[in-house]
Amino acid sequence: MPQVEFNGETFSIDEDGFIDDYSNWSEGWVQYVKKVEGIEELNDEHHLVIAMLREYYEKNGIAPMVRVLSKVTKFKLKHIYELFPSGPGKGACKMAGLPKPTGCV
Amino acid sequence: MSKSKMVKISDISKDSDKLTSVAVEDLMPLPGDFEDKEWDEIPEETREQYACILDDVNILQIPLPKTTKEEEELVNKFINGMRKLFTKEDNWTFLTLLETTMEYCAKCNTCSDSCHLFEASGENEMYRPNYRTEIFRRIYKKYVKEEPLSKWRNGDVDLNWRTVARIGELAYRCNICRRCAQTCPIGADNALVAREIRKIFSQEMGIATPELHKSGSMLQLQYGSSTKMNKLIVRDNIDFIDEDFSEETGYEFKTPWDVEGADILLIHNAGEIMAWPENIAAFSIIFQAAGISWTLSSDLAAYDSINYGVFYDDVQFARTAILQAQAATRLGVKKIVLGECGHAHKALTVIADRVLPEPLKIPRESCFPILRDIVMSGKIKFDPERNNFPVTLHDPCNITRLMGIIKPQRDIVKKLCPQFREMNPHGPFNYCCGGGSGYAIMSRNNIPEWRFKITGRKKLSQILDAFSDCRGSEMKKYVCAPCSNCKGQIRDIFKRYDLFEKEQLAYGGLVELIVNAMVDVNPGYIKWGEEY
Repeated sequence: MPQVEFNGETFSIDEDGFIDDYSNWSEGWVQYVKKVEGIEELNDEHHLVIAMLREYYEKNGIAPMVRVLSKVTKFKLKHIYELFPSGPGKGACKMAGLPKPTGCV
Repeated sequence: MSKSKMVKISDISKDSDKLTSVAVEDLMPLPGDFEDKEWDEIPEETREQYACILDDVNILQIPLPKTTKEEEELVNKFINGMRKLFTKEDNWTFLTLLETTMEYCAKCNTCSDSCHLFEASGENEMYRPNYRTEIFRRIYKKYVKEEPLSKWRNGDVDLNWRTVARIGELAYRCNICRRCAQTCPIGADNALVAREIRKIFSQEMGIATPELHKSGSMLQLQYGSSTKMNKLIVRDNIDFIDEDFSEETGYEFKTPWDVEGADILLIHNAGEIMAWPENIAAFSIIFQAAGISWTLSSDLAAYDSINYGVFYDDVQFARTAILQAQAATRLGVKKIVLGECGHAHKALTVIADRVLPEPLKIPRESCFPILRDIVMSGKIKFDPERNNFPVTLHDPCNITRLMGIIKPQRDIVKKLCPQFREMNPHGPFNYCCGGGSGYAIMSRNNIPEWRFKITGRKKLSQILDAFSDCRGSEMKKYVCAPCSNCKGQIRDIFKRYDLFEKEQLAYGGLVELIVNAMVDVNPGYIKWGEEY
């Protein structure tokens, strides 16, 4: 599994760039994904999305439906794309330390 | 022609790095101003671990052999798998068609002109549909069938580990759209050969792409869905969809679960629930409004129509199909109806006939004829003015070319969409979206580039041509793509070239267009620019 070093921390990632294990997530990982995703600045809205995803994942073992994410955060999908240019799955879930969503999504 | 496009049959066994590369200047031009860049390199970790000796991409992860013994093992296992492939005990699905393809190809290469990969790549020899087949055929004749003097009669091939690794990887350079099989005067099926090579790797060698196997069919069998939704989560999500869309549409509806004796068991691709819930809600609204007796099932694998085995493995295929058919017999429904998912149509309505035992062979059919009957019945009131924007229709290969379901969806869009226009060509002669055979769910390393530059290029070109009278960001346009896999591919390629903004394109299914025109539903069911 490829390893990346960022600000003194080392993370193992899969070939989609997702973290190997949910429990290895840290603030440093968030900063790393911010850089690779080309996000200029992280604001409260990013953190709200991350917190929601992590809470849902801890309870259910998978990521929520995109529409549930929209409903809870009150962000339209378009806005989620503005926050995370790669979208809710490949951008937001990645930053929140969730595995890559599977199936035809 | 650039030198790198001139791949020869004998190159397949060559002791070298990759055999070809598609240069940006060789790509088929797109209508308009589109910029492509050179390929991103496959990362070093991947190149050290897996055989990346074909072209610019790595899709099947074949472990790079480290010793001569491992090299020999790779060859022996492949040949062993190939021998099994040609016996009826071990090949449950397509033996006759495979033998036809091995024996009767006249090498006229008519198939090449029908292939969108060959065309998009600027006619790179590597992506001729018959390039892969011809190598496979020579191996078959020489090592499996052991025809006397085969190398003189059929042409020779040098079989070493590189040949095997390259042919395995090359099996993942095909959308399995079967346009080549359609055009072949004899009926040889190069797409089938690609699929059967994938099968040897999976069933005999334990090598399959992680998206289709580990995170695909294995999750389907363990949790009930490749999305990893178990029974509780899927029920919860559908409850949410019912509530949320009842509120939004002003049309109260409830999705029925596990109704014994219902006429229809509807099976959606569960990816729709996660990513396109408006498709799920639209089905529930239409079926309720038309008074259909129907249900979903919460049994394992019966709330997700996906069956990725179609793309690579008969055993995984059979396991999944049996679970789905069992759920239907348990409920005692009259038939299974498949939602908007192309490969699920192929899986459960066509191939399943070859693996289901008699008691499980209950009627299985497509949603399109039923939807057509509902729309034409007069039970639901429509206002086509609500769909008065340019609409074009994408034909999922498995529903149209394979099954011949062409007219029902057209009857619907012609009735409900005043500005409907066909793509050229369409119907049975359609082109694949570019996501077929599993690509739509793959985003590892530089695989998206493969999907955007090569496999999806023809479809993108067709879509833009269909809207040649209304290009640009002034007018909203809708691509109706009634298949989850196709939608995923179309979404990603629109995103890649920024077409949601530049062309005001929206994409979605057929049922969304139906509900968008329903008088009893609040206007504006279809959303543009991912606005909800």
